[in-house]
Amino acid sequence: MAGFKNLPRRCLAEFIGTFFLVFIGAGAAVITLMIEKGAVHPNSFNMGIGVLGGLGDWLAIGLAFGLAISAVIYALGNISGAHINPAVTLALWAVKKFPGADVIPYIVSQLAGASFASLLFAGVVGMGAVTVGGLGATAPFPGVGYIQAVVAEAVGTFLLMLAIMGVAVDKRATPGFAGLVIGLTVAGIITTLGNITGASINPARTFGPYLGDLILGGSNLWIYFPIYVVGPVAGAVLAAFAYMYMAGD
Amino acid sequence: MKCYICAKEGKDTDAVAVCIVCGMGVCMDHAIREDVDLWEGGYPFPAEEMRKVLPRILCPECSSALRGD
Repeated sequence: MAGFKNLPRRCLAEFIGTFFLVFIGAGAAVITLMIEKGAVHPNSFNMGIGVLGGLGDWLAIGLAFGLAISAVIYALGNISGAHINPAVTLALWAVKKFPGADVIPYIVSQLAGASFASLLFAGVVGMGAVTVGGLGATAPFPGVGYIQAVVAEAVGTFLLMLAIMGVAVDKRATPGFAGLVIGLTVAGIITTLGNITGASINPARTFGPYLGDLILGGSNLWIYFPIYVVGPVAGAVLAAFAYMYMAGD
Repeated sequence: MKCYICAKEGKDTDAVAVCIVCGMGVCMDHAIREDVDLWEGGYPFPAEEMRKVLPRILCPECSSALRGD
């Protein structure tokens, strides 16, 4: 397929977009944990988020992610495509909608933007963001196994990619709604998957806080990182192929 | 068809074009030909300006509105 112009500018847009995704979205998880620090956990399934607000805590975090994503899509969608998610970039490449030469630069920009966001968030909020909030790093919740977490991440990302294919990639889609619909889709996914895997559905969103925690002396969760690569990439690629098949492309 | 602007000035001039926006008949002196940029793509792909432009014939008023004057 034909390439797009101005790769450096598009990479900068991906960097900025992923920065806001992590700063605002993962930042909301950090703030929730800091607010609820010291509250008595009602059961072992509860790790802090949801102590005071129940599933409403996850909805609030989901909306922080979703609204930031909507803003990024409307602001930067015409410049880079606003993937802000390596799984989305890889899925679009897999169905030959995105040039292979741009995949690595896009993913590097997304990882860099996410990492910078986590470090800056710690700088703004203080070390409590690392020691209490873990910079919003994702990990499977108690009782959720490794494979279960991979499947949950794949299911969530499948829905996200299906929405992207239907409301944005498909030429029959009604123009103008993609940012709103995709933001709300992410909010919904996070509301349900939040207390299962942390609802990353995006390898960059997990990479940033993991790297930030490593650099700043927080928890080392890298053993879980494959969950947030394999699950989202598999879910997104499967969704892209499934949509192309169903749409008859 | 006669030129609407000329007719308002009391002149009787044949129209050579119709404004694509308001449908006003305009003579050669009042017809403005604009080239509108075309963009392809957009989320989740970068939008890129196409080499081709979309030619438009407009009256002075609509041309002014299109440019945001």
